[in-house]
Amino acid sequence: MILTQIAFYLFATVLVLSAAMVVSARNPVHAVLFLILGFFNAAGLFLIAGAEFLAMILVIVYVGAVAVLFLFVVMMLDVNFTQLREGVQRYAPVGAAIGVVLLAELVFTVARWQVVPHPAPIAAGNGLPPGITNTEALGRLIYTDYVFLFQACGLVLMVAMIGAIVLTLRERPSAKRQDVSKQHARMPADTMEMMSLSLGAGTTGNHALAAGRDGFLRPHDGYGAVADEGGPGVRAPEDHEADHHHGA
Amino acid sequence: MNWTLALPEIVLSCSGLFILLFGVLQKRSEPSFACTMLTLVAFLVTGILVVVAPDGAGYHGQFVNDGFSRFMKILSLGAAGLAAILSLDYNRQEKTARFEFPVLLLFSTLGTLVMASSANLMTLYVGLELQSLAIYILCAFARDELTSAEAGLKYFVLGSLASGLLLYGISLVYGFAGTMEYAGLRQVLTGGAPLAAGLVIGLVFVIVGLAFKLSMAPFHMWTPDVYQGSPTSVTAFLAGAPKAAAFALLLRVLAQPFGHLAGQWQLLIEIVAIATMFLGSLAAIGQRDIKRLMAYSSIGHMGYAAMGIASATDAGIRGTLVYLATYLIMNAGTFGCILAMRRRGRALTRIEDLAGLGRTDPTLAVLMAVFMFSMAGVPPLAGFFGKLMVFAAAVQAGLWVLAAVGVVTSVIGLFYYWRIVKVMFLDAPVAGAFDHRAPSLSFVSAVTGVATVLFLLVLGPVTGAAQAAAAALFG
Amino acid sequence: MATNTLMAPGLQAVGLGPYLTVGAILLVLGVFGIFLNRKNIIIIMMSIELILLSANLNLVAFSGALNELSGQVFTLFTLTVAAAEAAIGLAIVTVYFRNRGSIQVEDVTLMKG
Repeated sequence: MILTQIAFYLFATVLVLSAAMVVSARNPVHAVLFLILGFFNAAGLFLIAGAEFLAMILVIVYVGAVAVLFLFVVMMLDVNFTQLREGVQRYAPVGAAIGVVLLAELVFTVARWQVVPHPAPIAAGNGLPPGITNTEALGRLIYTDYVFLFQACGLVLMVAMIGAIVLTLRERPSAKRQDVSKQHARMPADTMEMMSLSLGAGTTGNHALAAGRDGFLRPHDGYGAVADEGGPGVRAPEDHEADHHHGA
Repeated sequence: MNWTLALPEIVLSCSGLFILLFGVLQKRSEPSFACTMLTLVAFLVTGILVVVAPDGAGYHGQFVNDGFSRFMKILSLGAAGLAAILSLDYNRQEKTARFEFPVLLLFSTLGTLVMASSANLMTLYVGLELQSLAIYILCAFARDELTSAEAGLKYFVLGSLASGLLLYGISLVYGFAGTMEYAGLRQVLTGGAPLAAGLVIGLVFVIVGLAFKLSMAPFHMWTPDVYQGSPTSVTAFLAGAPKAAAFALLLRVLAQPFGHLAGQWQLLIEIVAIATMFLGSLAAIGQRDIKRLMAYSSIGHMGYAAMGIASATDAGIRGTLVYLATYLIMNAGTFGCILAMRRRGRALTRIEDLAGLGRTDPTLAVLMAVFMFSMAGVPPLAGFFGKLMVFAAAVQAGLWVLAAVGVVTSVIGLFYYWRIVKVMFLDAPVAGAFDHRAPSLSFVSAVTGVATVLFLLVLGPVTGAAQAAAAALFG
Repeated sequence: MATNTLMAPGLQAVGLGPYLTVGAILLVLGVFGIFLNRKNIIIIMMSIELILLSANLNLVAFSGALNELSGQVFTLFTLTVAAAEAAIGLAIVTVYFRNRGSIQVEDVTLMKG
């Protein structure tokens, strides 16, 4: 009993303090680090309230994905080169302090967890058999009673994915992309030729030499560029023209 | 469990995924036009399914189909379809015609359908978020325009704040009532037990969140900036279907689970409606940008529509529904005219750009004038009947102050709508004629213009459907 | 309600009140963070996350106290929605930064009227 209360007030205090730090921090990187600390402590509070699965999800989804996404964007956008040079030393004290608090709490939680291993009782009000764990109960509910909302949430994530791509992805004409089907369809004969070289002669422009059986394998062109089916160079302008008409 | 209840939503979401796939796989040409057409087909099919879908509740008390949800879904689908047609020309000219646009429009509309069918606070929240998240993206869709990015950012921050407050309110209602289902809440509240303070606070948070989505005063501050900064094709959508859907939520939440607390929320809605009507009409006077003017105009319209809720009667709800139907028609038509304002390929939004339109393009000027007079509530145009019904409901419910404020602000509204008509017909042209109108814009403006003028002919059926919807809400 | 014997054991020891208090403090901090922050848009986004966290904390606590799982199921959905919201918000911030070259709150004032 008393141990639970101590745990609650520990988690609650750290959560509130780190939330205050998130709001008041001048440095956005510190704010993200405190946000992570806050989410860890919120997970602790979830654990005390009997929501084990959500506590894990909070740590995995929030700390693992959302907070890291925040950190990524902060680092990407708020570029101040003089600050960047200070690098690790600058964030080390705050990071270390947060790490120590987290470690202490984890030890505390794990120790407490072994003291009280039984799962929270699940109500008969949800139509579930008694004695099943929190995770199993949630699993039984979201795919049956709540399947409509579950699918709707899937669509929300879908919209988020479309949004992130449509807003931030830029097609650079100069960028070289991998085209897997082209790579697979590439035959050695399309890109390599067997050359037989007589001793002492160069290869430049002397394709007539390629009659012999033994010789070097020589690529037509660089590895990255995949040759057009119709042969390099000659038909390319026509293709381009055809594309254009199709597009219009 | 009768899963076919949600068949319209299922079909719409599957077609959304299909259109997305189609757009991604079309590599050669820009598939935006084809995707928009497919989206319109999907809306049409969904609309037919909505009409024939059976009544009933399902999905473990999360989803309900009744006359009310049917009415609101048809409104949403119609408004979204018109917005999709309007977007064709604008997106092409502004070089933002990417196939994701119709897909996001479709998913946002799907959110509005889920909202209209919500029978549980969870469904309310998820539907609202599906709708809002898609719109945040659409607002920032012209990603090379600073104004568009800023509009998206503002709408996102304030919209997320509102969603957060709404969610907090839902959590309080859940905690103090023990359930999130509307039917269960209704039972708890009619049980006669003393009302928990947490429940009232939760309800206030929920109303605040929805009032924000409806841009009702004092939570309207985002509206003008977002309307002005977003691409005009997005503004046309933003001012239509999402407003109807947010009204659907507000009506359902207030009438069904909290129907017995009418005495508690009636005054709150009345005050909000008065503030909204005043703000909408007074702030619109000084505007020089037509998109900002439309923002304040839509704020004012939300105030009038809320009058019907404040009266908390069958007739009031019916008035609100008819008002929303007329508003959506006028709104689509007006944006059809605004999108036609283009000289040498550049979109124009200032009111003085309309100068002399009566001489250079009489058809467009007459259509615009019809919409302006209808918005002001001049008989016998569509807007008049909506206003008449909500005013009558307010008077019947004894809310004389509300009705009087409505009349006063309507007169102020007439003044600023008249200003646009005056600029079009009495001022001399400052520049040449507008560019040739795209057929899609002409189509939408003409159809909605005819509907606005001849609304009297369909007034009977529309009122009948609204009556049935209101009855379903209270029944 | 607070003396429900079917409550989760941890919640029984602590009681519902402290949970709701923590939730309320987080809500207030989040709202303050949005309105008082004059510095950085990313911190505003984090304040929104705090508001959502406060609602989730409430839902979980009520769910434990009522011994009814729909609150936890809803929290699962709100976590999903919040993650989607964060992704979209950060995408919009990125777009804004590309156009404006800054994420200072004071700069978000292009439109006035």
